[in-house]
Amino acid sequence: MRKLALAAAVAASAIVLAGCSTPSGGDGEPAEIRVWLVGADTPQDARDYLIETFEEENPGSTLVIEEQQWTGLVDTLTTALSSSDSPDIVEVGNTQAPAFTSVGAFRDLSGIYEDLGGDDLLPGFVEAGSYEGTLYAAPYYSGARVVFYNTAQYAQAGVEVPATLDEYVANAGTIAEALPGVSGVYWPGQDWYNALPFIWENGGEVAVFDGGEWDAQFSSPESLAGLEQVAEVAASSTAPKDGDETDVWVPFREQQGATLSAPSWAYWSIIADADQAPTALTDTLGYYALPGKDGGAAQVFAGGSNIAISAKSAHPELAESALKIIFSDEYQGILAANGLVPAKTSLGGDVAAATPELAAIIADAAANAKLTPASPKWADVEAARLLQDFFVKIATGGDIEELATQLDLDIEDILNG
Amino acid sequence: MRRELTPTQPRSRPVRVLLNVIAVVVFVASAFPVYWMINSAFLPNSAIREQTPHFFPDQFTVDNFVKVVTQPSGTIEFLPALGTSLLVTLSTVVLAAVFAFFAALALSRFRFRSKKTLIVGLLVAQMIPAEAMIVSIFRVLDGWQLLNSIVGLTLVYLAVVLPFTIWTLRGFVAGIPVELEEAAMVDGCSRFGAFFRVTLPLLWPGLTATGVFAFIQAWNEFLFALVIMQKPEVRTLPVWLRAFVQATQATDWAAIMAGSTLIAVPVIVFFLLVQGRMVGGMAAGAVKG
Amino acid sequence: MSQTARVRRRRDLTPLFLLIPAGVVLLALTAWPLIQLVVTSFLEFGRAQIFGAPPVFVGLDNYADVLTDAEFWQVLGRSVAFCLVNVLLTMLLGIAIGVLMTKLGGGFKLLVSVGLLLAWAMPPVTASVVWGWIFDTDRGVVNYLLTQITGADFSGHSWLIDPLSFFFVATIIVTWQAIPFVAFTVFAGLTQVPNEVLEAAEIDGATGWQRFRLIVLPYLRGVLVILLILQIIWDMRVFSQIYALQTVGGIAAETNTIGVYIFKVSIGAGDLGAGGAISVLLVILMLALSGYYIRSLLKQEES
Repeated sequence: MRKLALAAAVAASAIVLAGCSTPSGGDGEPAEIRVWLVGADTPQDARDYLIETFEEENPGSTLVIEEQQWTGLVDTLTTALSSSDSPDIVEVGNTQAPAFTSVGAFRDLSGIYEDLGGDDLLPGFVEAGSYEGTLYAAPYYSGARVVFYNTAQYAQAGVEVPATLDEYVANAGTIAEALPGVSGVYWPGQDWYNALPFIWENGGEVAVFDGGEWDAQFSSPESLAGLEQVAEVAASSTAPKDGDETDVWVPFREQQGATLSAPSWAYWSIIADADQAPTALTDTLGYYALPGKDGGAAQVFAGGSNIAISAKSAHPELAESALKIIFSDEYQGILAANGLVPAKTSLGGDVAAATPELAAIIADAAANAKLTPASPKWADVEAARLLQDFFVKIATGGDIEELATQLDLDIEDILNG
Repeated sequence: MRRELTPTQPRSRPVRVLLNVIAVVVFVASAFPVYWMINSAFLPNSAIREQTPHFFPDQFTVDNFVKVVTQPSGTIEFLPALGTSLLVTLSTVVLAAVFAFFAALALSRFRFRSKKTLIVGLLVAQMIPAEAMIVSIFRVLDGWQLLNSIVGLTLVYLAVVLPFTIWTLRGFVAGIPVELEEAAMVDGCSRFGAFFRVTLPLLWPGLTATGVFAFIQAWNEFLFALVIMQKPEVRTLPVWLRAFVQATQATDWAAIMAGSTLIAVPVIVFFLLVQGRMVGGMAAGAVKG
Repeated sequence: MSQTARVRRRRDLTPLFLLIPAGVVLLALTAWPLIQLVVTSFLEFGRAQIFGAPPVFVGLDNYADVLTDAEFWQVLGRSVAFCLVNVLLTMLLGIAIGVLMTKLGGGFKLLVSVGLLLAWAMPPVTASVVWGWIFDTDRGVVNYLLTQITGADFSGHSWLIDPLSFFFVATIIVTWQAIPFVAFTVFAGLTQVPNEVLEAAEIDGATGWQRFRLIVLPYLRGVLVILLILQIIWDMRVFSQIYALQTVGGIAAETNTIGVYIFKVSIGAGDLGAGGAISVLLVILMLALSGYYIRSLLKQEES
């Protein structure tokens, strides 16, 4: 009884204390602003630089970075951005941005467009972050996918770096056959980012806007040809058919797969393990840009992010000042130095990466990058995980044409609904 | 009132052996996942990723625990999450017990017009999918400036557990003879004095049973915690664990199991502490419903 | 009860005061959101409305959309099937283990109690993660043991990719966690059956099964009804386990249960109107499922 009373007293006092912690203060006064970054992509150097510079430029104010997860991000943003306790600056996937720009969740950035870089900003991402001609979410960075390979395993299986996409696909099968238990291409079934290039290279599209309506294209003959190749590559993989692309470098550096297509910064996680010890791949890692149908670099998916100020931000001026730091050459330079493609095209040449060759490959890939359909509803297609589910079924050997036809119906349902 | 049943032991030996074997099977089936979690938590991740599983922590290490406690998952740190979870859970358990005790008294010691409606309402309240109400609850809290606050989350958890706790406690209160209270009032106790001095002590088993329920709900709840507590410093443990799982996705099972162990252990300890009372409480409540 | 009630004055405000604390919380955070939920189900309420656009009254459109959507019926059928299987398994095994405990000697009884407590104490998100690890495609202990025992090669077998297999794993998780509550409650109820009655019946020549059916079951009836209702409600609304398991693997669209589906429609796709309509339909369905029992409970209340 006494113990319970004590616990009650402790709990009650804690409640009272916690209730006092809501900070307040109008604009112009020092305040705390909250920045949501998603996943681990933004390097620690950049985070430190942002906090230091912001707190230097805005004496008395503080900037807090709150890391969010990609899974379920649209859900979290939907609630958080509509609340009075909204974060001030949020990162959002470029393909998810239209869901929020079209409903007034973000603050109009037209006023500081020039300060952020103006026409120097990545054009495709500016488009993704604009609604009816107004910019609401500026490009943050783009990530290019690079093909990493195990040089020893390639030599063992007797394959060369492929010159065309068809060779890439054929190699996958050859390796899987020559080296039992090793994936030709390590391919978790959910990975739709790596699957889209096969469709584009074969002349297909995700969806086209035609006569005021979206027309999904997965079941077009060109797309089907690409999907056949996806199925072939997936069949060469020992990765979980329903796995996703998180941390794919772990099985790769354990030599479970000879080939891996991953964001360029995966390089660091491949040549060293979590404890910074060298791995089997430290001396046998090679890389190339995914080859196109007719040679050259393939059109790859331009993964990346936009960044925006919440319409409900209590401190928009401070948020703008932080955003300007993010778009400074210094900050963007740190992103480039870590292998990300910066938001400013003029800094594209600075993508240093680990080696000059890798930098060249990243630049090649970025130059050919493509985006998903620019519809405000596209984010709902992603939230419904239609593509993940579709490619899992392809990886398990489902009937491609039937699945693609159904997928087209489902996508059109959402985009035109 | 309660009387322990002397078990009607089966007489024949083979039957008894068979029952004991079944008992062992039940134990293994119930306890294996817990064992497997703890076993994996004490193995280095390199051992976890070998083809042949290690059935015992033969390469014993506490590194996973150190890692989990010291390295934030994203920007969520373990210790603050533990603090938040403890505070919210304790507040919920204590307040739910007090509120439910009052409400149960009202619903079983008094007669008033809308009583039946209220009782059915308590049952219906448990059928409403919380997932659907999350946005409106979110907005209510937002209006009160209670997002990202322990008070806000506690209030939500109270709303979640109260229908069940009131409903259950009502059965317990009904099982305590009202004559006891009346006797105390004859002896000069006030109405409330009688409730607190006579009824409350007899209600311990019931309060324990419902307290356990409130504890489990508040400690384990995931969805409201995810949406209402969005600042890293006020995240709760289940949300922390999920972020951890997502950030490492099937590549660091050892650390994930260490995190899971840390979340499960307080509940297990709590259960073992109140175990005797809890089963007794259920017994008292069981027949009366 | 009725006897004591007569003593009280008619206009006694005490119950009102006693109900205030719980009442305020439930009114603000259950009743009010529920009203909003019902209202929203008649509105076009999407992400734009969340961010302040005025909602439009659309009458029964949301209901019509939901009821004509094949996916809704698939999800509903799946949830009902899942609920039935799990409630049945949980009740049968729970009762069996509860009875078993009354037949066991001290040591074995303690063993079973400890095992059950461990399973019961496991947080659902944790449980899903741990079971996900046990059934892991690459390094799961189940695949290893199956390979050793059957000789067939189970390495790399995905347990979550096939929806039926996914729900097999989900059923293990859900029943594993739910059985202890049923078993303990049944055991507790059994300890309340008066021994004299059982002994008398035994002397009169009643077999074990007859004693169970004619004496023990009627005693347990009240408990079993409550347990059944609670299990139906809980299993129909199952959310955490499925949601967590979906992050481990599987095909989301083919493994959604109604709780997860409501969340995905309301928050993921931002369509609160449709989410509200589905929720209202779900509550009606659950009331219908448990209506009979609620009535029998209310009858108990009157007597």
